[in-house]
Amino acid sequence: MENLPAQVADRLRALTFADRAVAYLYVDDALALIGAGGRLEAYGLGALRLGAPAVEQAAFLEGLLPLVETPYLVPSIELAKGCVADLHFWRDEGGVWALLLEVTSERDATRRLQQKAYDMTLMQEREAALNRRLEAAHAELRAQSAELARWNKTLEERVAAQVGELERMSRLKRFLAPALAELIVSSGDESILESHRRDIAALFCDLRGFTTFAESAEPEEVLELLRGYHATLVPLIQSFEGTLDRFAGDGLMVFFNDPLPCPNPAERAVRLAVAMREAVAALAAGWRRRGHQIGFGVGIAQGFATLGQIGFEDRFDYSAIGTVVNTAARLSDAAADGQILVTSRVASAVGDFAVLGDIGALAIKGLSRSLVVSNVVALKSGQHQQAI
Amino acid sequence: MTVAIQKKICMLGGFSVGKTSLVKRYVASIFSESYLTTVGVKIDKKTVTLGERVVHLILWDLAGEDDMSSLRMSYLRGSAGYVLVADGTRPATLETALSLRRRVEADCGPLPFALLLNKNDLREQWAIPDGELEELRRSGCWVRSSSARTGEGVEDAFTDLAARVAP
Repeated sequence: MENLPAQVADRLRALTFADRAVAYLYVDDALALIGAGGRLEAYGLGALRLGAPAVEQAAFLEGLLPLVETPYLVPSIELAKGCVADLHFWRDEGGVWALLLEVTSERDATRRLQQKAYDMTLMQEREAALNRRLEAAHAELRAQSAELARWNKTLEERVAAQVGELERMSRLKRFLAPALAELIVSSGDESILESHRRDIAALFCDLRGFTTFAESAEPEEVLELLRGYHATLVPLIQSFEGTLDRFAGDGLMVFFNDPLPCPNPAERAVRLAVAMREAVAALAAGWRRRGHQIGFGVGIAQGFATLGQIGFEDRFDYSAIGTVVNTAARLSDAAADGQILVTSRVASAVGDFAVLGDIGALAIKGLSRSLVVSNVVALKSGQHQQAI
Repeated sequence: MTVAIQKKICMLGGFSVGKTSLVKRYVASIFSESYLTTVGVKIDKKTVTLGERVVHLILWDLAGEDDMSSLRMSYLRGSAGYVLVADGTRPATLETALSLRRRVEADCGPLPFALLLNKNDLREQWAIPDGELEELRRSGCWVRSSSARTGEGVEDAFTDLAARVAP
């Protein structure tokens, strides 16, 4: 200031302190307040007592005295009345001076800038947190979607497996009793259907006079008769657990003891044949009323045959091949209306419960020697039964 | 006979964690929803009675720590203890608080402190697992969750700290 004229120095002082509250404290080495001045009331320091402990009267001095560093600045302190000051300390030989130089305007300007920066930062932090939650939600959604896809795949596989089972069941039901078909499907073991040899009882049956009827009747009438005939016989075959080999017009072939074994194949075949004969006799009465003379004959033989699936993709049948099959077919051909012709082996197996009539030796086409054949006249009293 | 003593306590933590709100809640039992950042330091006083002792706590509410303005250690001179504040909805502020603790200990030595995980009224946004709090407790921190809005945990923290700085 010493190079400035008094007028300039005074003006400068006025400009500097016009809008700023300036105050000071002077504290001795015993920490007693020994001097104070300026606009003390702006900082809530209007009631100071000289000679009393400084720190008790000006709480912001707590911990700062005695001064360990000089000069020392504590910037931008907001005191009780909202007035903000830079607090300048220095010491001289008499004690420590504390000068409060107001910086409220500067603090407010800084705060406005800082507030904007912080608001921006907080907004970015919230946005980042929101993005993280969104990403987490997306990840969860993706995981759920993948889980759903896995469930769908599993469901498709299950449906495919069940469709496969239904197809197998449908295929097996064509020649097996439904209960047996379900047994094979549920066990999952179809090796039983592979080619093998087994002792079976084969039953052939067809209608007598059917060819003549078919030649003279309308096709619709023929089909209606066959539908009734099949609808009557097939449930019987299933109830006796016979394996239905094939339909060929009025001819049917059934065998027993394969693919699932049974202890008495000849007996079952004969009991089925008797039940068939009774059922067809009831049908034939109706046919006769319409002027059709149609009868029914059966042939049964027992012996080893080769069995298994034959055919090609999408058209498999389960069938038996062998002399026993041919023999049963020839016996069926040879049977008159109402006859159930059986070989001597079958006859001996059913002699206990069936009334047999001796037919004698028959020459069978395809066999080098004739066969002794019997006719099953009826089941003995008390032996009649519809199904096993 | 009642003995009165005076102790300086600093409030430290990242910006917008609620230091000023905690002081207002403690000193004046008020809470304001609006956020006004602190520049420099604001000084308040609260008197606590602990048995026969009256402790005047001189609370130095320091500006929040951020990337631009780091802590001025001159504010901490003569402090008897400090309150570290973190925002439980912003995990990074806990890191800031723990980093401040290391710096204070390096400069001033091991002073008594309390760590407050503030804003526990915002439960749906809470982002600090309970396990982390337990781990801090096991490491010797006096740590609580708090809410300047509801006042939960505030009085306890200051009273406990007062008892430790003025034993």
